Amino acid sequence: MITFERVTKRYPDGTVAVHALDLDVPAGQTMVLVGPSGCGKTTSLRMINRLIEPSEGRILLDGQDVRDQDPARLRRGIGYVIQQAGLFPHRTVQDNIATVPVLVGTGRSSARARAREMLALVGLDQELATRYPHQLSGGQQQRVGVARALAADPPVLLMDEPFSAVDPLVRSSLQDELIALQAQLHKTIVLVTHDIEEAIKVGDRIALFHPHGTIAQVGSPERLLGAPADSYVANFVGFDRGIRRLSFVAAGGLRLDSGPVLDAATTVEQARTGAQGQQWLLVTTEGRPAGWVPAERLAALPADLPLSQVPAEGFGHSFTVGTESLRVALDAAVLSPAGLAIGVDGDGRVLGLASFDDLRAAITAASRQEMASREPEPTALGQDEAVPQEEAVPKEVVSQEDSQPTSSAGAAP
Amino acid sequence: MMWSWIPGNGSQIWQLTQENIYLGVVPALYGLVLSLPLGILAARWRWFYPPVLTVTNILYAVPSLALFIALIPSLGLTNTNVVVALTVYSVCVILPNVVAGLRSVPDDVRQAATAMGYRPLRRLITVELPLALPVIIGGLRVGVVSGISLASVGQLIGVSSLGYLFVDGEQRDFPTEIYVGLFLVIALALACDLILVAIRRAVTPWMGERKRSAVPARSAAGEGAAPESTLEAVPQ
Repeated sequence: MITFERVTKRYPDGTVAVHALDLDVPAGQTMVLVGPSGCGKTTSLRMINRLIEPSEGRILLDGQDVRDQDPARLRRGIGYVIQQAGLFPHRTVQDNIATVPVLVGTGRSSARARAREMLALVGLDQELATRYPHQLSGGQQQRVGVARALAADPPVLLMDEPFSAVDPLVRSSLQDELIALQAQLHKTIVLVTHDIEEAIKVGDRIALFHPHGTIAQVGSPERLLGAPADSYVANFVGFDRGIRRLSFVAAGGLRLDSGPVLDAATTVEQARTGAQGQQWLLVTTEGRPAGWVPAERLAALPADLPLSQVPAEGFGHSFTVGTESLRVALDAAVLSPAGLAIGVDGDGRVLGLASFDDLRAAITAASRQEMASREPEPTALGQDEAVPQEEAVPKEVVSQEDSQPTSSAGAAP
Repeated sequence: MMWSWIPGNGSQIWQLTQENIYLGVVPALYGLVLSLPLGILAARWRWFYPPVLTVTNILYAVPSLALFIALIPSLGLTNTNVVVALTVYSVCVILPNVVAGLRSVPDDVRQAATAMGYRPLRRLITVELPLALPVIIGGLRVGVVSGISLASVGQLIGVSSLGYLFVDGEQRDFPTEIYVGLFLVIALALACDLILVAIRRAVTPWMGERKRSAVPARSAAGEGAAPESTLEAVPQ
């Protein structure tokens, strides 16, 4: 648990980077500090491990003022990840990772053994252990940076724009891995970013900063999207926040229709009757979606031709029933030529189809449910709000709830 | 060119070569030992560097013969005289490289080290100095090469080195001796330089062959820039 109490950082030239900041970072959660550049988010982060000292107020780490502790000792107990990874160019990957264990007096060989465990944890090949940082890609370097920060198993992890120097594809997978890692490790993470998408994706809670060192709103990603405190927050989270909010609604409540789903071995003649008067047929191979065939295309084709030989339209993507959100389902429907989202099970086998009507019904139901469960609005700047219980649920659980009951909701083909 | 002169005087030439190596290498090493603490202080306190640089530049501008003569009252016509003078010059060359090397350590690396929990001294020894090493060795190379060449000037105050071949050859109007001396001085300088390059490669395996990553590239640039420009101004 990290607590900021009326923390102000004023520089000698009079600039106020952070103004009377009050913030609680609950243990075991990911708190994202987000805001435009110069908003004081990085300054706030660096005051936790005393890279920067506050001018006023105090920061408590598990109830203890960080300024009562020896800075070097304090920092060894706090993992730190920065933008360019900041790896030591003159040390091998394993020695980079072993940095803090060696600093706290672990023997070199056991520190290296630990380093190799960490390599596996962040999904890197063991053979990278003896390489030097310049021999790695940006994404790999960043993973080593995370491994190094976690090597001494600190309860707290500070991440300063950790993924902003890598390309979007790598960034996205690093974010996914951070979420998976956090589900496993339950560290208290404070992550700084200017990217609201990243904040919404990885944060259990988000502290959105005004440009000049005060907080506009603190809350779960759902709350920032669903109930922005003011127009500044609403603007910052973006105009499509309504759709993005669906990311937090599991597609579990979505009704699935059976629809015309036919195996690729089905002949054109059988398909004509199996079309059930629908305009589009979903062709599957071994139960997995292969493509959409317009029913009218069948008319001109030989009766005994298998559907696998019929030219089909791509289906965009499917959504996994039970684990993926309504946003993914909606996107799947929008991308589908048939206007139907394909719901699949964990193995990618088709469970059923969702139409826009089904989606609308699910969205309406979810909104109604949220309205009913919403507690009173947080006051003014939202700084004093207590942590609502439902928001304290760790990230990965959100989308996994009620997976079982719903997969049977639709009629399987 | 009288080739037969060479084998006939082999032992004397070898003796002079050894003396020249000593006068070239030892002052450079003393210079390194003096430059490290000075450079560390200058890199840490920015205000400290300009006055230090001014002093070393003035010393560097003093012609070597003048410096040898200036040291005669206190040190006499001895080896020590030349070693002290050449040490002064090598500090002038190596010190700026120590400062440049320490300044070339990327900020994010220094910051990461601090955030990991390094105390300043340990960070300096285990992170900053190793990263500054390529640039520092670059300075050492120039120090050794100019030391080997300047050592021969010491012959003018009677301190023995390959310079003897120049003085003696000139007095006897015997060019062969001068050519041999010239060849050996250049060969020695090249050999020492190559040894230092090999040492640098050995102690910085992390730099690799490519200069792709930011850090080695920056160090490599620093390595070339500062020392080579001062080489042209070697006082003779």
